[in-house]
Amino acid sequence: MAKNNNRPVIHARHLTRIYRLGDSEVIGINDIGLDIAPGELVVLKGNSGSGKSTLLSLIAGLDRPTHGFLNVADHNLTQATSPDLTYFRRKVVGMVFQSFNLMPTLNVLENACLPGLLAGKSADQVTSKAMGLLDWLGLSTRWNHLPAQLSGGEMQRTAIARALINDPDIILADEPTGNLDSRNGQIVVELFAELNRNWNRTVIIATHSDIADSVASMTICLKDGAITDQTCDI
Amino acid sequence: MKKHLGRALTVLLGIALGAAVFTSVRLSIHAALDSFTRSMDVIAGSADRVMVQPGGRVPEEWVAKLMQFSVVRDVSPVLTAYVRLADKKSEPFLLIGLDPIMDRSFRKWQFSERTEEDVESWIELLKRPYTLIIGKSLAEKYAVYRGDHLFIEHTRQTAFFSIAGILSPGGLAMAEGGMIALTDIATFQELTKLYGLVDRIDIKLDPNTTSEDLDHIRKNLPDNFQLGAPSAAKESGQGLIRAYQLNLSILSFASLFVGMFLVYSLVALNAASRRHELAVLRATGASPHFLFLVFLAEGALFGVMGWLTALPISTILVKYLLKGVSQTISILFAKVQVETLSLSPWEILLSFAITVFTSSVSAVQPAWEAMQVSPNEALEISRHGMTRKTSPRKLVIGGIGCLFLVVPLSLLPGILNMTLPGYFAILFLFVGFSLFAPWSLIQMGHALSPILHRFVGIPAYLAGRYVRDSGTRTAVSVGALITAVALFASLVIMIHSFRSTVELWAHQTVSGDLFVTTKMGEINRFRYPLPRTVVDGLEEFSNQVDIVPSRRYSLTYNNFPYEFQLLDIHVFLRHGDFVWLKGDPDRVRTLLKHGKGVVISEVFSNRTGVAMGDRFRARIESSLVELPVLGIIRDYRTRGGVVFYSLPQFNIRYHDVPWGGCRIFLKDRTKNPEMAVASLKNEFIRRWGDTLEIISGQALRNTILRVFDETFAITIVLLLIALAIAALGIATTLTVLVLERSKQLNTLYAVGADFGQIRSMILWEAAFMVVAGELAGIVCGFVLSYILVYVINRQSFGWTFLYEVDWGALAMSLPLIILTALAAAYPAIKMVFRESPATLLREN
Amino acid sequence: MMSFNKRSILFLWFIFVFTHGWVLAEDTKGYLSVTGPCELEFPEDHASHPDYRTEWWYYTGNLKSAAGNRYGFQLTFFRRRIIPSESEKRWPAPASAWRSSQIYLAHAAISDLDGKQHFHAQDMGRGVLGIAGEFRDNDIVRIFLKKWSTRIGPKVHQLKVISDPFSFELNLTPVKPAAFHGEEGYSQKGSTPEKASCYYSLTRLDTIGQVTLAKKTFAVSGLSWMDHEFSTASLEPGLVGWDWFSLQLSDNTEIMIYLLRQKDATIHPASSGTYVRSNGKTRHLPRHDIQVTVTDTWNSPDSGAVYPARWRLRISSPAMDLMIAPNLANQEMGTKESTGVTYWEGSVSVRGIKKGRRINGKGYVEMTGYAKAYDAPLH
Repeated sequence: MAKNNNRPVIHARHLTRIYRLGDSEVIGINDIGLDIAPGELVVLKGNSGSGKSTLLSLIAGLDRPTHGFLNVADHNLTQATSPDLTYFRRKVVGMVFQSFNLMPTLNVLENACLPGLLAGKSADQVTSKAMGLLDWLGLSTRWNHLPAQLSGGEMQRTAIARALINDPDIILADEPTGNLDSRNGQIVVELFAELNRNWNRTVIIATHSDIADSVASMTICLKDGAITDQTCDI
Repeated sequence: MKKHLGRALTVLLGIALGAAVFTSVRLSIHAALDSFTRSMDVIAGSADRVMVQPGGRVPEEWVAKLMQFSVVRDVSPVLTAYVRLADKKSEPFLLIGLDPIMDRSFRKWQFSERTEEDVESWIELLKRPYTLIIGKSLAEKYAVYRGDHLFIEHTRQTAFFSIAGILSPGGLAMAEGGMIALTDIATFQELTKLYGLVDRIDIKLDPNTTSEDLDHIRKNLPDNFQLGAPSAAKESGQGLIRAYQLNLSILSFASLFVGMFLVYSLVALNAASRRHELAVLRATGASPHFLFLVFLAEGALFGVMGWLTALPISTILVKYLLKGVSQTISILFAKVQVETLSLSPWEILLSFAITVFTSSVSAVQPAWEAMQVSPNEALEISRHGMTRKTSPRKLVIGGIGCLFLVVPLSLLPGILNMTLPGYFAILFLFVGFSLFAPWSLIQMGHALSPILHRFVGIPAYLAGRYVRDSGTRTAVSVGALITAVALFASLVIMIHSFRSTVELWAHQTVSGDLFVTTKMGEINRFRYPLPRTVVDGLEEFSNQVDIVPSRRYSLTYNNFPYEFQLLDIHVFLRHGDFVWLKGDPDRVRTLLKHGKGVVISEVFSNRTGVAMGDRFRARIESSLVELPVLGIIRDYRTRGGVVFYSLPQFNIRYHDVPWGGCRIFLKDRTKNPEMAVASLKNEFIRRWGDTLEIISGQALRNTILRVFDETFAITIVLLLIALAIAALGIATTLTVLVLERSKQLNTLYAVGADFGQIRSMILWEAAFMVVAGELAGIVCGFVLSYILVYVINRQSFGWTFLYEVDWGALAMSLPLIILTALAAAYPAIKMVFRESPATLLREN
Repeated sequence: MMSFNKRSILFLWFIFVFTHGWVLAEDTKGYLSVTGPCELEFPEDHASHPDYRTEWWYYTGNLKSAAGNRYGFQLTFFRRRIIPSESEKRWPAPASAWRSSQIYLAHAAISDLDGKQHFHAQDMGRGVLGIAGEFRDNDIVRIFLKKWSTRIGPKVHQLKVISDPFSFELNLTPVKPAAFHGEEGYSQKGSTPEKASCYYSLTRLDTIGQVTLAKKTFAVSGLSWMDHEFSTASLEPGLVGWDWFSLQLSDNTEIMIYLLRQKDATIHPASSGTYVRSNGKTRHLPRHDIQVTVTDTWNSPDSGAVYPARWRLRISSPAMDLMIAPNLANQEMGTKESTGVTYWEGSVSVRGIKKGRRINGKGYVEMTGYAKAYDAPLH
């Protein structure tokens, strides 16, 4: 569901990423062009090797394209400098990973606060914000637990809190339900839907399952590094 | 191992260095000890007993008298002295005077050229006065041949000798590295003016001699003569060298010990990174013991390969060490001349065994952990980054247990003259402190993280949190650093304490403006008194100077070598003093001046068990001296203990002894004392330069301190190597930790950290480890310094020193250690983002 | 390759000079020489003649124990001056008490003839400080080397040897006066006058005493022979060794013969002998009166030398035809280490006809230069 008619929040043309492994080359994505409007909840679908993770990492500013053009929320990622990218990763995007990727030595609250502290915000400010998020996510009683003491669903929700602490415009999620049971997976998808609906965040979910189909406002199918027009056959 | 090739090579290098140091030190000292022993054996020959007069010589008439005892098969009189070539101011060499006929069954020698002329060289010794046969090394050194002449300088006189023959290596020529010469006993007596006397008479007994037969001989000897074992001189010298050998071995073992930590960390890494694989192995039937053995074998393999890598390093290191070690031993304990390095298979085997053993032991804990991997883990997604935490509390308990053992072990006496309990105390000290490392890291992380967060920022905070919870792996490297820092700090303290005490001693007890002895007096153990003309001549200067005459006797007390020194105590105490350890100094000084007793050195007391209040008994030439021990003093001569008594009182109570030497004190020190001393010295040289050795007190004291510094140079080198190995350990650990956490670090990047913040975090982790290691190391070092000063030194050498901390040196050195260790973090930092952050999302 | 260790060198030298030989080709300058009459008187001349280079007191004998076992013994004291007396003036002053121009050697042997074993021992020492030398007290002369000695008194010679594995203490009583060899003791050993020695013997001494062998001590008695000779001369070039015989015959007479052997196996004309009658009077036996034929030989397993092992001795005046045979084949003296300077010295038995009558006796024979020609020069 398009929420507004502003410029696309993600604009990609001829986007290509080729990996060199020794003498051989692996094509991650090839000549992709896409536009995503702000406020969309996009599902990037495709099997393993389809290029969805590659595309996500480019959008997240974790990687640079080999060819092509990529603009995310008015940030030209193809020509961004290192400080630009740092700012981008702090302010513009928030990432949620399949394996949660929480810091094992920090508790729930500390994990949630982490990006804020890295961005140089004051601890008090960040803490109170984090508590609010945790409360919303149903984790307020677990704030001082370590990841090893949490269930999968709790860990993913902590990761979501972390992703939201700096108020990013775009939430990127890579297989967020991949390590969760169906119930927790459903909870997480609903959280994303709420973020999109009530909080006006652009959400991009890369997945091979159809768990997020019901909440998606846009679906992009990838196969062999390119967008296909066909319905995503998984 | 291929997977972590760089790291493996680092560990190998660490082990190789440690093993090389250990092996080289052992081989060098073994060579020196071996050379000394062979030399002594060859000189002692095949005598069964030796007749000597302690502190004196034996009248030659006893040669025939001894022959009259039925059990005495053969006798040979021997005289020895160190002489040198007068015109070349060369190194002294040993001259032996004997009767070639009587000596033929005692000692063996061979001629290098087998012409008949050479074969009869020994008859020349009898026929022509002032002929000698010299060792081949000596001949080659001075490029002389049979028939040439040598101008030889002895304490008593200088004379021309004709070379009657050259000895080839073998038998007696092996003594003193071939720097040896033989002359007829008649010539020797004429050269040294020792008419009527010999140093000792070697005796060969009937094989069926009983102890009653020996007692019978003893009863028929005058009281002041003894029938001793020929090995006495050898054994007392060996004892001194062995103490040094043990100390240096332990010190060099420290390098290996530190290397242990390296092996531990790498084997632990291997075990941890292959955890999933191990689980699969277990699931498919491998037994826990198999896994244990695999990793134990990995540790052992490191040991073997490290030792092999050490071989080329050792060959270089040993050449350097051999020279240094033999020089040190010669100066401090007993003359050794090492010609070639004898590769003792036993020493090589020992170093191999110890190296492999230590690296195997290092692998025990990771191997044990590997054994615990359950087959279930094959099915789970492994929680990478966090191994099962070993409870720090258990380790602390272990640590406390170890530390509890330290004090009781320190108090135990040495075993077989080796201070083994002391060294075990040190081992437990290191292990104990190392076991505290995880707990102290936790406490440090706990306490400091919030503060650092407030004042420094998030990277430091994150570093603190990580170090706190990272488990034993960081603790192991910290343990290595604790060991190295403790060693360093304790040795800095010990050496400083030692040096300042020695300086004090030199200043007080070795006080004097000029020291006068006979030529080559020291090397000949001051056995030749000053000529009467010199004594009379010196007394002419009594208006300008105070003279403190002395006489020294080299004796043994239950095989322990010591010096009985007669000194004019009255005059001495006006200008100098002893460094008192036990006894009321004022009271003892008075009693000493009146000849009411002796003072003994701390070394003498510790090594012989004679204490203050006991009676000191000794035979000095023809007198039996029996006196109470009034007090104990500090003394740092290295060839055993010393006992002081008043020379004037000895002359009154026992018998007259001529001066062996004296020290001179200026009466008036107000007007340019240096010039006065110099002019006095020149005057003495002008008058008696050909019979005396004259050295200024300042030069003597400087020499003492210089010898001290040179001796410890080796120690410092070994220490720096240990530190380098510890730094290698830190570098390895940090690199490992970075690589293991690449996913975490990439995640940090993904959630907004920049490169600088991540690098800063690694640096802070290093800082935490290093600071923890250094702080604990310093505390441990202080404890260790006490053990070194009051236990190890006391048991090994018999002395202790005034404990003194050189805060300046510590303050300067410790930041240096921190900087070095932080520099070790650099490779780890470079490792960050070796894998691109994009791998977080990469599909495979 | 020979290992010239000291022990063997000393022994070599010792053996070399010990025998009745004289050192080859040495410088004899500065030493007193025997060039004419010896004018020997006793007891003075029992003592040493220190200015001459070489001197020895040499005892041999054949003994029997109470149990009837037969033994031969030998004891020799040998003095050697190593530098001429002129050189003593150049000694350092003061000189050490060890400085000596005299060296003493001694050699002892026991042949257990029935047990077929031969034992010998040697020693050496310089003549100082009671180690070795001579002691005179009126008419007693004592020559000693460490624990060995001969005490020559007016009536008795007391020999004492303490060694391993044998010792002996013997009292020898001369039953005849001294027999002077050559011309009143001036005994020529070469072509020129100074190639000579002063030489006398006590040819028959009644002997009693005790011998200790392998820790057993037993009393012995028998007959001994004593030689005392001193000289400075060196052995003439061309001589390879000598054979020396001392025989005590059952008719109370004695014979001494020495044959100097030359390179071409002939006997040097200076060789000679002495016949001692029962009243003690002597008769010189010139070379042409003596005929010795070797009738058997013995191979030494140790040195490989081939020694004569049986002789036929014929003397023209007094006429006698004697067979001399060793009582034990292996009485060779020498060490395995030495360069082969070995010699044979041992007890022999004599049988034969003298002046038409059967005669027998005992004696000692010494043979040198069989193992290797004597050509090791010592200065």
